[in-house]
Amino acid sequence: MSGNRGLPSRAGIGLRAQHVGELLATRPAVPWLEVHPENYMSGGAALASLEAVRREYPVSLHGVGLSLGTAGEIDARHLIRVKSLVDHIEPCLVSEHLSWSTAGGVYLNHLLPLPYTEETLAVVAGHIHEVQDALGRRILIENPSSYLRFRHSSMAEPHFLAELARRTGCGLLCDVNNIYVSARNLGLDAASYLDALPAHGIGEIHLAGHAENDADGRVILIDDHGSPVAAPVWRLYERALERFGPVPTLIEWDTDIPELAVLLAEAGIADRMLREDDRACAA
Amino acid sequence: MLALHELQARFADSLLATEDPALLDLVDGDGLDARARLAVYRHHLLTTLTAALEAAYPVVCRLVDRRFFAYAADAFIRRHPPAGPCLGEYGAIFPDFLASFPACEGLPYLPDVARLEWAVHMAAQQSTAAPLDQARLQRVDPSDMAGLSFVPDPSLALLASPWPVDKIWTAHQEGKALPGLDGGGVCLQIHAAGEDVTIRVLEPATYAFRDALARGLTLGEAAGLALESHPSFDLTGAIQQMLEDCVFNDFTLITGEGA
Repeated sequence: MSGNRGLPSRAGIGLRAQHVGELLATRPAVPWLEVHPENYMSGGAALASLEAVRREYPVSLHGVGLSLGTAGEIDARHLIRVKSLVDHIEPCLVSEHLSWSTAGGVYLNHLLPLPYTEETLAVVAGHIHEVQDALGRRILIENPSSYLRFRHSSMAEPHFLAELARRTGCGLLCDVNNIYVSARNLGLDAASYLDALPAHGIGEIHLAGHAENDADGRVILIDDHGSPVAAPVWRLYERALERFGPVPTLIEWDTDIPELAVLLAEAGIADRMLREDDRACAA
Repeated sequence: MLALHELQARFADSLLATEDPALLDLVDGDGLDARARLAVYRHHLLTTLTAALEAAYPVVCRLVDRRFFAYAADAFIRRHPPAGPCLGEYGAIFPDFLASFPACEGLPYLPDVARLEWAVHMAAQQSTAAPLDQARLQRVDPSDMAGLSFVPDPSLALLASPWPVDKIWTAHQEGKALPGLDGGGVCLQIHAAGEDVTIRVLEPATYAFRDALARGLTLGEAAGLALESHPSFDLTGAIQQMLEDCVFNDFTLITGEGA
């Protein structure tokens, strides 16, 4: 069961509201686009613009609101809204996160960290099954950027992701910047993390910039998607391509959003690396 | 070790209210205080939700300045966090919160400006509904007309304020100075037409009539209310105008036998 329905192994961009008008007017040759479904669920002009974008480009829906890691029931109303948008837009890919955001009916608007235990594995796997059954398709699960870890975690994150993929048949979205950010914040080795992911399960890669903040005299990296991709993250991306082969790659930029041309140029860098990797694989 | 649901409840409390010692004990600080690690999540939560409120309430934000807005937003978010992940729908009760927020007492018009902004914000997110079938309306037996109930367009909002909130809103769109506040109140209709949201000033009688219909009263009841407060109310003209404005999209007949 492949989750990818027509997304090319090229580099696309995360489409944000301020670029939609320019994109539709100029139709740049970007291979594909990704959006957050939560921004299009009310309908109106936003949904109309997404319909127009979908007519011109392959589109991936990258959810932030299903809170797959919440103990207990998944938000059924939100799942219905996701399904209705998926049925309407017919995206090439659907993805979500290994995280939680909802507790006691409150939505905390952040991809919050999970303890990696057997209990959590059962909870998340159950919810992924439920979502894949509801949507009638495979989804990808993204590794989060982390600022803390729990003492009682009994599994490393890449092993937890691999086990989720094994149990549910889901694919994985490898956010290379998140790996780098988490590794720096939690004292892990980013390359070893990458090497521990199951290569065959990777259906998409994310790249983005991060910020460096001082927290009580120690540097904490913040996954703010507010700058160009950092040099060590590009190097990690190279390693990811060597290991996973050419995989659809996305540039995300969510704060201090630059001109569309800047985003397209950033995607162009990844795209050239992808095509070199493609040739290397073919050779 | 805490069960996952217990950990999540305490994590939520620690972000929005007070830090839970049992949760902090679970965090592997790795050379950094667990509180500092938790603070990264709290900071993101508060700043992104404040940005969502600012996007819905840009005029309120400019009226009180950004620092005060962030202060009010922080109190609001902690007391009324979102119930779901669509942030474009977050903040419906922010106007009521501002009305009861002691620090806003000196700006009595602020809650109504916020109500106008919310109506505009929500109208902009609505899809255009099919217009009312006028041929079908014309086939209704005249003796049944009083029992008709109309379905408002999903984008329609009606707002009556003792303050000139439309002029305040417009002044901010055009970057002009705040108008005088002694200009008196206003009755407004907010409605999406295509991709645009229109704000229209309604005559008090028209407002009373449409407001009654929007609340689900029948045509007869709405006309009665409008006539009671405004004896010169012209019902035929009001119905015609209402149809031209496309603010109601459907109707049903509520009668003794039909219901």
